[in-house]
Amino acid sequence: MSAAEALHARWSPDAGEHEHVVFLVEGMHCAGCARSIDKAVRALPGVLDVSVSNATARVSVQWQGHGATGLPQILGAVTGAGYRPVPLAGAAAAAEFQRERRAALKRLGLASLGMMQAMMYLSALYGVSDIDTAMAQLMRVTGMIIVTPVLFYSGAPFLAGAWRDIRHRRLGMDVPVALALLLAWLPSVVNTLLASGEVYFDSVGMFIFFLSAGRFVEMNVRHRSLSSAEALARSLPAQVTRVYEDGRREKVSATQLSAGDRFVVPKGAVVAVDAEIDPAAAEPQTSLDESLITGESAAVLRGKGERIRGGTVNLGAPLILRAVASVADSTLASIVKLLERAQATRPQIARAADRAASWFVAAILLLAAVTALAWWRVDPTHAFAAVLAVLVVTCPCALSLATPAVLAAATTRLARLGLLVTRADAIERLAWVDTVVFDKTGTLTGSAAGLLDVKLLGQMAREEALAIAAALERGSLHPLAEAFRPFDRPSMQVAAAREIDGAGIEGTIDGVRWRLGRRAFVEQRPDEARDTYMYLGDERGLAAAFEVGIPLRANARQTLEMLRGMNLDIIIASGDSESAVASAARALDIRRAHARLSPDDKIRLVEELRAGGHRVFVIGDGINDGPVLASADVSCAMGQGSAIAQSASDLLLVHDGLAMLPRAVSTAREALRVMRQNLTWALVYNIAAVPLAALGLVPPWLAALGMSLSSLGVVLNARRLARPARP
Amino acid sequence: MSISWLLVLLGLAVLGGAVWALFWAIDSGQYDDLEKHASAALEENREIPDSAGQTKV
Repeated sequence: MSAAEALHARWSPDAGEHEHVVFLVEGMHCAGCARSIDKAVRALPGVLDVSVSNATARVSVQWQGHGATGLPQILGAVTGAGYRPVPLAGAAAAAEFQRERRAALKRLGLASLGMMQAMMYLSALYGVSDIDTAMAQLMRVTGMIIVTPVLFYSGAPFLAGAWRDIRHRRLGMDVPVALALLLAWLPSVVNTLLASGEVYFDSVGMFIFFLSAGRFVEMNVRHRSLSSAEALARSLPAQVTRVYEDGRREKVSATQLSAGDRFVVPKGAVVAVDAEIDPAAAEPQTSLDESLITGESAAVLRGKGERIRGGTVNLGAPLILRAVASVADSTLASIVKLLERAQATRPQIARAADRAASWFVAAILLLAAVTALAWWRVDPTHAFAAVLAVLVVTCPCALSLATPAVLAAATTRLARLGLLVTRADAIERLAWVDTVVFDKTGTLTGSAAGLLDVKLLGQMAREEALAIAAALERGSLHPLAEAFRPFDRPSMQVAAAREIDGAGIEGTIDGVRWRLGRRAFVEQRPDEARDTYMYLGDERGLAAAFEVGIPLRANARQTLEMLRGMNLDIIIASGDSESAVASAARALDIRRAHARLSPDDKIRLVEELRAGGHRVFVIGDGINDGPVLASADVSCAMGQGSAIAQSASDLLLVHDGLAMLPRAVSTAREALRVMRQNLTWALVYNIAAVPLAALGLVPPWLAALGMSLSSLGVVLNARRLARPARP
Repeated sequence: MSISWLLVLLGLAVLGGAVWALFWAIDSGQYDDLEKHASAALEENREIPDSAGQTKV
């Protein structure tokens, strides 16, 4: 089995005691499918843990190594349950996505074209009695010619799903759907051949179109969330320059590096694996940007022999490192793994409508049988009409549309607000949220450094001081140097510029030696207590002091006040330093703020909150937030963060600002309310219509009308949400 | 009456043509990535993907 080999090559890190694998499953659409896969895999000997998420189509299995059960047996069990396992990553998955997307688009396209045409032709039969019989028959035949391919091509997944469910003796959502389709289509074909009576071809076409559209949206959402791990892995360089003992250098693939190998990282490049700084390095200290891993915005200094993690950016001189782990064992790889696992074990939100519908259909089947029997004894000529009326009038169309229609409408409204929903059930979960956890950098604050304050200490004008500072910082890769860029004057020439790591920059401008950095460095005095300012001065003394940092977003304060007004608790969880977090918390009036959290700490914080009964909404940015976003009840990434955090999150904020968050929460709450109305309406309609149909009081045409109207009512009710939001 | 048969046949032919055109467009990869082509010009060192959606690097 080649899929098994591909999986094993990628996923056998804990080989030995316990083995663990995460893979995708095709053809899984409901909670029932997830349960049957779970059951099939659990039945194997030696399987320790199985978790199946139908939202992301992921299956995560842990099993005892060296036993009778191996990957081929697990994949075999999944195949035996009627589903197709697919490797999680790489070209195979990409090709799989493309194939699935094209097939789904074709089915949707055919259904929409067919639905419109069938409706156009068959509307001639609606309630008009003076149509002549030959013309009516022409319309019936045309409807049959159009809708039959739609049923067997566009509707194939539902028919196949129902067949699979029946073979495995269970009632999934596809069973009522397929039954309704076939029972509406079959009598229509019979009536067409007999050239009289009702046909429901247009209803069949419309139903398939609605269902296909729902499946298409669901598929898009799934594909987007799956590419996140790939995006994270891509941020590492594929090649590194290896340095041999004899000084020879050679470009090799990063995956070939193993512990002990030495390699060189140029200025501005990303370190491929976890490594330590060569003790024989020329510089005593080097400046690094670890924001990819820790979220810490300021550059950090590392000395000889210190450990740095893969994903770190070298800001200083070219650096010779000694690898301490291979790519697969490095920090970033474990973040990827964390992300995979978090996504695979995402808590399963009960899909009440799905389950209700499968109970519902069992009841309907029973009722139809009872109706048939009763009418058979009373008056056999009415039996078929009554059974058909029962089945058509109770077709769970409205029930199965109730939730997706609302979600689609709410998604549209959120998109207008600048929020993209990347997971279908995010809206439902967002409505339940009571705690909001914000990352600081890039979320509450912007992502680029800015000038917060300027103090003039000498005779120099503000513009002049800023221009000198900007000229000195011109060559610096330090993240905070960005703050000075807007004040740079190209005419100002800097000579003999030198960056001293951890201290500052010096350079000669117009014959004057300027220094910019810590006060002790500028005044060339022994070290003293640090403050948050950067000083500019020459030999004669200090000229100015600048406070540089990442400013809060313009609307952060109002947004948080509005969120608090909606009974939401607000917490800051940041990887940044205590002082930076405390000042942001003070400015925003937040009481709970946690600083210096690693990705694991953040997950622990979220899990503690959730264990305490809270429903947690995490808003973050940066790769280090990927796992924590995936472990939250619902998560949102800022659009300008790195690609990974975006794709791991349920929501993606595309506008650069937080102002839309309160409205997103209120939209989600409104969506939940409308969903409940819809479910109530669909159930009430069905419960009221069934006895009438069973008593033979509802002719089939009225049943068809009722079915369409109840669906229409549900859809129209949902459309209210898609109107432009009130200001 | 016969004119309605002709018109219906014509309508079905147009529908068939539309379905064929849509399937052809999907199979040639035109719907695979709706954003890539628009942003391809902004990216450095990257050739614009060909019609099959394959990127040559």
